[in-house]
Amino acid sequence: MSTSDSMPATQQAARTIRTAHVGVYLLTSVAQAGIAQFGDRGETYARLRALAIQREEDHLKGGEFLFDSYDIFNRSLPELIDPDYENGKDVRIRRYNCSDAIHVGQVRIIAAGSSASLHVGNSMRYTAEARIKHIRQFKISRPFPPVGKPLL
Amino acid sequence: MMHFHVVNHNLSVGNIEVLGVSSSAYFQIGDTDYVALYSMFDTPPESVIVGPGAPLPEPALEDMPQVASQTGATLDVD
Repeated sequence: MSTSDSMPATQQAARTIRTAHVGVYLLTSVAQAGIAQFGDRGETYARLRALAIQREEDHLKGGEFLFDSYDIFNRSLPELIDPDYENGKDVRIRRYNCSDAIHVGQVRIIAAGSSASLHVGNSMRYTAEARIKHIRQFKISRPFPPVGKPLL
Repeated sequence: MMHFHVVNHNLSVGNIEVLGVSSSAYFQIGDTDYVALYSMFDTPPESVIVGPGAPLPEPALEDMPQVASQTGATLDVD
């Protein structure tokens, strides 16, 4: 947290790191690399790759799908283009917390999954990435519809 | 240089109800310096496959094949 001497004396005491106070936390399910954390955290890099395949046949007959076959899993992440930052005009953030507490009475979450993160506390850097490819697969034995009729 | 001055006043919340948090989403009670969330979600028309699922040939074995399903079945391309 950045500090400054220009701040009024009455505000000096409150320039602390905020603490979260939660009364009740009801969480039903955390699955599939989901995270629930109470406390501070430094850096997180959560990553999810999924091939969501909806099949007519069972998985043994349908064959395997490979992440390498699809561009979405190898595509580079978009970059923020900020000419001001490149010209050295960076942004200085100064935060001032009037209260050193965040109060929440009750939190009720039914489910967290797929590299999701539930966090009570402070963190420094959080980066998460999800890449999901959806595929619907039908049997080849199905006769094709006549010309002009939709496939489905 | 741009100066960004943030004043966080008292924050007090009664009740939060969430049905689901998924796909690298983030739910936080607290402060963070930096957050970057990326999501790529692909459901194009060509994602409908009729027949065996092998849109591209299988990569060479030494090229780290990342197998999605662990069924042990082999690709039958006819």
